[in-house]
Amino acid sequence: MPIWLTIDKDSGVPIYLQIVDQVKHALEVGILQPGDQLPTVRQLGIDLTLAPNTIVKAYNELQDLGLIKSRPGAGTVVTANLNGALRAGQIAALFDRLHTLVRDAAGLGIDPAELTARWEADIQQCYGQQRSAAERAREEHGGGE
Amino acid sequence: MIDTVAPTDSTRAQAAAERPAIAIHNLVVQYGDRRAVDGLSFTVPAGAIFGFLGLNGAGKTTTIKTLLGFRAPAAGSAQVLGYDIVRDSQAIRARVGYVSETNSLYDQLTIPQIIAFCRATSRRWNGAIVDRYIRTFGLPPRARVGQLSKGMKSQLALSLALGGEPDLLILDEPTNGLDPLARHEVLNTLVREIAAEGKTLFFSSHILTEVEAIADWVAIIRDGRLVVCDELDHLKQTQRVLKLTYDQVPAPAEIAALQALPAVARVEQEGRGVRIVARGDVDALAQQLQGRPGGVRHVDAVNLNLEDLFLEYMKDSSEGQQ
Repeated sequence: MPIWLTIDKDSGVPIYLQIVDQVKHALEVGILQPGDQLPTVRQLGIDLTLAPNTIVKAYNELQDLGLIKSRPGAGTVVTANLNGALRAGQIAALFDRLHTLVRDAAGLGIDPAELTARWEADIQQCYGQQRSAAERAREEHGGGE
Repeated sequence: MIDTVAPTDSTRAQAAAERPAIAIHNLVVQYGDRRAVDGLSFTVPAGAIFGFLGLNGAGKTTTIKTLLGFRAPAAGSAQVLGYDIVRDSQAIRARVGYVSETNSLYDQLTIPQIIAFCRATSRRWNGAIVDRYIRTFGLPPRARVGQLSKGMKSQLALSLALGGEPDLLILDEPTNGLDPLARHEVLNTLVREIAAEGKTLFFSSHILTEVEAIADWVAIIRDGRLVVCDELDHLKQTQRVLKLTYDQVPAPAEIAALQALPAVARVEQEGRGVRIVARGDVDALAQQLQGRPGGVRHVDAVNLNLEDLFLEYMKDSSEGQQ
C-alpha cells in the first residue's frame, strides 16, 4: 500500500473522495509522477480492507480528470501532473481556507495589526526558505559543471 | 429456471453484471399477528459489499432466514441469484454461502469431521481455502467444535462457507464475539475472498464502524421497513449538517422559512445557533444560506459518518411515529 495514502474510514468524508484528494495531493507535492504505477483495485481493496467498488469509483474519477490511465493487464499508471484547472481549484480552496481563518480571527477579536504581523512573518519564513533552497540548488548545480 | 448448460466463466460474469444478487419486493413475514418484516423492498447489486443495518429486533435475521427459504413470506416476493425464494430455495441454499448468527454447528464433531460433512453436502468444494483460513484464524485443527470459543466458532463457520466458493455470501452478524484483531482478520478475509473476486457479500450488523470500514452499499431497516438504501459514499455526500450562526437570535418566522427550503430535512435552534440536517444538494444549500439576508454570520458544513447518519435516520422515524 502506498505510504502516502491514509484513509479515515469514519470521518464522514466519502472514502472514494479521500482517495481522489490524496492522489491529487501526492501529484501536487511530487510524490507521484507520470509513469508511476498505482496498486490494482484488488490489491488496494485488500490492503485497505475496503470494497473494491469504492476504489473503482476513485480510479474512474481520477481517469476522468486525466490524471491516471487504467489498461487491462498493464495496471493503472499516472499519466499527468496536476493540470492548470486542477491547480486553480486547489488555489481557490486555499483562499477559502484563508478566508475562514481570518473570519475566525475576527470572531476571536484578534487585533488586525497582530494578524498582519504574523501573516508577514509567515510569508518571510516560507517564501524566504523556498528562495534560499532554490538559490542553493542553483549554486550546487553550477558548482558541479 | 434450473441451469441446463454449465455456464462458462464469462457468461456467468455477464449474468452477474445484469442481474442483482438479491431483489426483494414488498416482502412481508409474520410471527403470529406480528409483522417482523413489513413490506420490505430493496436490491443488492452484484459485486457489492452490502451492509444490512438496524437495531436489534428490526427484522434483519428474519429477512435473511426468509431469503434462504427457512421461513415462508406471508406476502411479496424475492429473488436470490435469480432464483425465487419460495420455489427455488433448494437451489439458493446450494449456491449461497451462509453463516448464521448462532453458528449452529454440531458440537460433538471434530473440525476434520465437520469439514468432511460440508464437503459431502456441497455442490462445489475447495478444501485448500478451508485449510488456509483454519490456519489464518489460528483454529486448533483437530479440536471438537464444542471446545471452541464463540469467536472461533464463527471463524470456523466462515471458513466452511468459503469452502463452497459461493457467488453470494450472506452473513448474520459475522463479527459477534470477536476481539478487534480477529474482527480485522475476518473483514480482510471477506474482502480478499469475496469482494476482490467480484462476488457479492451481504451482511447484517449493528456495529456501524465495521460496516463503514468495508461496505460500499448500505440499507437501514426499522420495524421491518426500509428506512434508506444507498451507496454509502453517495449517502455521505448528500447528507450533511449545516451549522448557522446568526448575529441575533433568529425569529420563529426565519426558522419556518429555513424549514421550507429545498434539501432541508430538519431544523434545530439553540440561541443564535441553528443546526440544519440537509439531504440532497448540500453545497447549493450552503451557498444559498451564505448569501441569505437576515443576519446569517457564517455557515459551516459538517460531514456525517455512518453512525451520525444512522442516528439522524432513527430520529426521523421516531418523529414520524409520534
